[in-house]
Amino acid sequence: MNRIWFVMVVLSICLLLFNDPSGMLSTMIDASGEAFSLAIELCAVYAVWLGILELVDASGLSEKLAKLLRPLIRWMFKIKDEEAEKMIALNMSANMLGLGNAATPMGINAMKKLDDKSGVANHAVIMLIVLNSTSIQLLPSTVIGLRASAGSQSPADIILPTLIATICTCVIGVSLTKLANHLHGKYLIKKQNKKNIKS
Amino acid sequence: MSGYILPIIFIAIFCYSKLKKVNTYDTFVKGAKKSIPLVIDIFPYIATIMIAVALLRASGATEILATIFSPLFKLLGIPKELIELVLLRPFTGSGSYALLDDVFTQYGADSYISRCASVILGCSETIFYVTTVYTSQTKVKKLLYAIPIALVASVFGSVIACLICKVI
Repeated sequence: MNRIWFVMVVLSICLLLFNDPSGMLSTMIDASGEAFSLAIELCAVYAVWLGILELVDASGLSEKLAKLLRPLIRWMFKIKDEEAEKMIALNMSANMLGLGNAATPMGINAMKKLDDKSGVANHAVIMLIVLNSTSIQLLPSTVIGLRASAGSQSPADIILPTLIATICTCVIGVSLTKLANHLHGKYLIKKQNKKNIKS
Repeated sequence: MSGYILPIIFIAIFCYSKLKKVNTYDTFVKGAKKSIPLVIDIFPYIATIMIAVALLRASGATEILATIFSPLFKLLGIPKELIELVLLRPFTGSGSYALLDDVFTQYGADSYISRCASVILGCSETIFYVTTVYTSQTKVKKLLYAIPIALVASVFGSVIACLICKVI
């Protein structure tokens, strides 16, 4: 992330040096202002969803949901932490309903539980990132709304293609993560063996 | 139809909580209270990434990147009109919806390009945004292969999206 951000910013500012040097600061401040209004909006959205989340958790519903998804979650994440399982189950459900903003606080909670404080992402952390980056959306409601207001004859006819594409993306993402985890494990063992031989 | 799903889920949650003798009012307040500290924690991350995206767009770097990547996209079967959309999608949600709207007005909402763009947006996510916000509360610094995998899967999704739109 550090490297990507550095390249984005330095490259852009270098280009702006030729295009519009006086516009740089105002562009940055405008963006930060936009982020601030987004944050206020998110604060309102999260208040509702965290309230609901607390209810779901206190009533034991989240445990029921986690039980339902447990085999899938255990297979994908290879974890046995019940608290994390609950949060992941809620995160996945919210994502599927197309409620990305509701999924975020639950995902953050799950991430806190999965983090092993070593500074390096473990398999479960990577899986959660990939899953949220490629999540299955059952109903692309925002896109349908935009199509309708742009005067489409049948705004909803993208539902089926979107569903196929989103399932493909998610399956590819999850399988690649599993494969990468396998290869990374082998690489680490090799490295360890080399170290052992040297010493 | 889809409008009914959420209210029904909410009624079910409230009634079930009552059934389990949970104090719905107190519990909801307890949850809602966590909203402000959470937003304070993630605001700097949102601002930092949005500043980078704004600079990228204002400087015209996206157009240069689009030219650099165009042979690759041609190979993958993604129309060149959509390169900017595919490149910006991982960084910004609101920005890519604005681009989608531009595509609609330029090409008509029911054209092949517009349907492709719709499906691409529907099957992808704001990868960098998700990654920064989700890891903001952890000690994770090295992400190993997480972002490359998410990007590869998304690009494949876009390719599949364009293929499906040709068939259907």
